[in-house]
Amino acid sequence: MATYIAKRVGQSVLTLFLTITTVFVLLRLAPGDPAAAYAGPNPTTEDLERIRAQFGLDDSILVQYGTFLKGLVTGDLGTSFSFQAPALDVVLERLPYTITLAVSAIVVTALVAIPLGVWMARRADTAKEFGANLLTITGQSMPDFWSGIMLLTVFAVVVPVFPASGFTSWGGLVLPTLTIAILQIALISRMVRREMSTNMAAPYLTVARSRGVGERALTWRYAMTNSAIPVLTALGTRFAAMLNGVVVVEVVFAWPGVGSLVVRALETRDYPLIQATVLVTAALTVLVQLLIDLAYPLLDPRVRLAKTAKQKTAPAVAAPEGALA
Amino acid sequence: MVFPIPHDSTPILEVTDLQVELVTADRVVRAVDGVSFRISRGETVTIIGESGSGKSTTAMGVLQLLPHDLAVLSGSVKVGGVDLLVDTDAARRIRGRMVSLIPQDPMTALSPVHSVGKQLTGAVRLAGHPRGKARARAVELLEAVRIPRPEEQLDKYPHQLSGGMLQRVLIAIALAGHPVLLVADEPTSALDVTVQAGILDLLLELQERTGIGILMITHDLGVARLVSDRIHVMKDGRFVESGDAEQVVEHPREEYTQRLLAAVPQLGTFDEDTPVEVPA
Repeated sequence: MATYIAKRVGQSVLTLFLTITTVFVLLRLAPGDPAAAYAGPNPTTEDLERIRAQFGLDDSILVQYGTFLKGLVTGDLGTSFSFQAPALDVVLERLPYTITLAVSAIVVTALVAIPLGVWMARRADTAKEFGANLLTITGQSMPDFWSGIMLLTVFAVVVPVFPASGFTSWGGLVLPTLTIAILQIALISRMVRREMSTNMAAPYLTVARSRGVGERALTWRYAMTNSAIPVLTALGTRFAAMLNGVVVVEVVFAWPGVGSLVVRALETRDYPLIQATVLVTAALTVLVQLLIDLAYPLLDPRVRLAKTAKQKTAPAVAAPEGALA
Repeated sequence: MVFPIPHDSTPILEVTDLQVELVTADRVVRAVDGVSFRISRGETVTIIGESGSGKSTTAMGVLQLLPHDLAVLSGSVKVGGVDLLVDTDAARRIRGRMVSLIPQDPMTALSPVHSVGKQLTGAVRLAGHPRGKARARAVELLEAVRIPRPEEQLDKYPHQLSGGMLQRVLIAIALAGHPVLLVADEPTSALDVTVQAGILDLLLELQERTGIGILMITHDLGVARLVSDRIHVMKDGRFVESGDAEQVVEHPREEYTQRLLAAVPQLGTFDEDTPVEVPA
């Protein structure tokens, strides 16, 4: 186990290094001049050169990269052009808001989508299930910028129960959370339904029923635990994606998170800030993915015992859906 | 829950004119078309037939394990005098307590993420044993089905055991609630030939010891001949021939039974000129 974790951590560090390097190079290959973005209207050539020198942009890419790596080792990701503050600090200041929104959205999603998916699986091919199915397809089809604006219009403007923007009170969390959750509930509940239907048709479930196990235990103790890996993978992957900043929702609700920050950083070609954002969110994604992987052996004995089993080879566990999404 | 224990003369299971209609996407198929049979204490009754003959549907119908929305049952299925088709809740009460299933493929019949012990003690606790004594009773049951080192096996997961061992575990689970009838749905067809004999021996031994009745579903004449008191030959949802095991095997009256018997491969002189007779 220790070797496994060490190996995974090593892989993660490599992944992060490659990610940040790619972003570093792509930024500098992309058109657009940061100096022009900061110089104000009608800059003179001297102005631009002064700014480039100030930002260290007059060096060659290799020298810039070397400076960047040197800083990286000491935890210094450079100074944000637009904030004139350490880029890492700017990102870390925004991060709690994004984490709060992501946790809130994933908790709501899990609490609604899992029971809903199970409910649909148990009532497969009934009128009620058809209705629920229709609702989830609708939820899945609504773009988040649209559902966000609709929620905003109804619950912040027409009936002002929740604040329209920002995070000044916990009430401000409600509408952004709902906007994200509508889409995620639709996706996850359909996936739970599919997994549960498969497991509820499995032979071991009929055999368990034949020995007198009640329907509730069949559903939750048997079918649900056997569906746990794909469901957890899907939730974890969605959660990791949210930690990268839910850009559209953050912009619609003026949420002070990483998502709206990255939009601003891109607009202003704020290289250090973009790099810091990518590094932090990529690190979070890698961490969540690692936690999901570490949970597999806890949920499935075939994974847990695969390495130590001498008796026979474990049946291959199909790669859970969405693992690479 | 106390069930009347049938006297030796009254049947444990009495099936009268059972019909099962399966609703498919475009039509209704009568999978079982008016079969009647009975099983008394200590008896083994076998339904033999080819795939699609309706034999497994009959077994699942007896246990009320066919999907309610897809299968329509009529006739009567009396277990210990209670008609399961009239008292629709009765099946739920008797399953595992009076009637147990031994499934066809042991490799898929246990939940892969729960240990063998967890599933066995679950069955033991459903049978009314308190939590504290469930493990001891589970060990007892594994000993009864001749599983070596039962304590160790309890902590294993299904994928760590062989098919034969799993089938023994499933028999132990089936016995947890002291049933009077076992429904064995092709219990050996997924196992190696060498393992099959051991499982059949075990079933016969348990029957001798406890007087349990067995409804055996098989397509294997060798199995039927070995274990049965009576045999029903099933084809297209009906019994084409019924009788004592010896009579059906040695002196079949119906042409279909004769063809079924003739289809059993026999070792003889190698003669590639004579084509092998395959029943239609």
